[in-house]
Amino acid sequence: MKKILFIEDEEALQRTMGEMLEQNSYSILKALDGEAGLKMAKKELPDLILLDLILPKKNGFEVLEELKKDSATKNIPVAVLTNLEGSAEVERALALGATTYLVKANYKPDELLAKIEVILNHHS
Amino acid sequence: MVASWTDNINLKKVCSEYRVGLWQCPQFLFLIMGIIIILAMLVTYVVASRYQEPELAALTVLVLTAILFALGNLVVKAFEKVALSSRSKSEFISIMSHQLRSPLSAIKWQLSLLLQGQSSKAYSTGNYLETIMQQNDRMIRAVNDLLEVNRIEDNDLILRPQKFSLKNLTSKIIEEYNKYASAYNAQISLLADGELPEVFADEERIGRVTEHLLDNAIRYSINGGKITISLENKENKILWKISDEGHGISPAEQKRVFEKYFRSPSAARYQTGGSGVGLFIAKAIIQQSGGEIGFSSQESKGSTFWFSLPINKTS
Repeated sequence: MKKILFIEDEEALQRTMGEMLEQNSYSILKALDGEAGLKMAKKELPDLILLDLILPKKNGFEVLEELKKDSATKNIPVAVLTNLEGSAEVERALALGATTYLVKANYKPDELLAKIEVILNHHS
Repeated sequence: MVASWTDNINLKKVCSEYRVGLWQCPQFLFLIMGIIIILAMLVTYVVASRYQEPELAALTVLVLTAILFALGNLVVKAFEKVALSSRSKSEFISIMSHQLRSPLSAIKWQLSLLLQGQSSKAYSTGNYLETIMQQNDRMIRAVNDLLEVNRIEDNDLILRPQKFSLKNLTSKIIEEYNKYASAYNAQISLLADGELPEVFADEERIGRVTEHLLDNAIRYSINGGKITISLENKENKILWKISDEGHGISPAEQKRVFEKYFRSPSAARYQTGGSGVGLFIAKAIIQQSGGEIGFSSQESKGSTFWFSLPINKTS
């Protein structure tokens, strides 16, 4: 079973995404802030990380940077999942090594699942 | 409607459209500069040809140049203001769209799950609907703030003052924010004298002000800590104060915190959301209520924001 880590401070989004992923037989790991997310990523080495940008304790950019610096986590695909859409933010996230940049409001959970599956198939 | 050429020389109209005072309006300043330059040339010509006193001519030129220099400085300042406000405005649009899209996407995801009939037993349909309702409230509040900013800009903020207990209002709001605060590891406490007189102000608006100040204190308590709200009676006014042990505000940013759309570009920018209008709204409401508002802050030690409200009707 593939493991997906969702780092997101909004519980409603985590819960919804979590239920949807579980029903499609993925195992989901959840972290509510950047620090906890980073720790969990290093410990669990998930197959994919969904990463919000505005996060308490450590923001998404900082998490992404540290993930890509660590040899253990640098090859895990990271999909940035946010509602920010400034060109500066998109560029910064992609430059730091994000696999893709997705805007939450533009997708329903099942559409996101399709995106996630493309990344997972591509990377396995 | 076709703009007639007279509109361009009606400086009062042009400047009021820019929402700046005359001395901050480039068009007006350029006109004054032009007049002074023409005057300078005429005076120099007259002085030099009639009185044949080169010192006086030189002095006149010097004085007028100094005035031109000062005016030039005002022009630069005016452009700076325009440039800054346009930058904050585009920043504001990106922040606001984020503020609105967050609850909207949460609602979208949850509705989509409910429609597929996939909600689990652990979290019932009722629970989901309740969360959707909260997200909806968040959106309404964000939109209300926008309208309030518009009213303030158009000088159209109409307050409905009445007597009410600021202490009761504060405890009610603290109760609503307690859960949110504990998510940030922050604890809120209230210190208030037993017998506090009521204040005379618009209760609903003051409620929004305290919510904005409390919300900021929680958001910027990035490593948790204590948040203390205190109320005291001071010379016919009630002084309301909130102190946090959070991120603090750098000296450079302190000048701009009450500016509309201003958000700190520091590290905390991506650690918490915020629309950049809360303090702008708070300042306008408190000042129009006959009170004062201010703050003190130390970087990485915390901030204290305060406001005062009159006990009696002021007119």
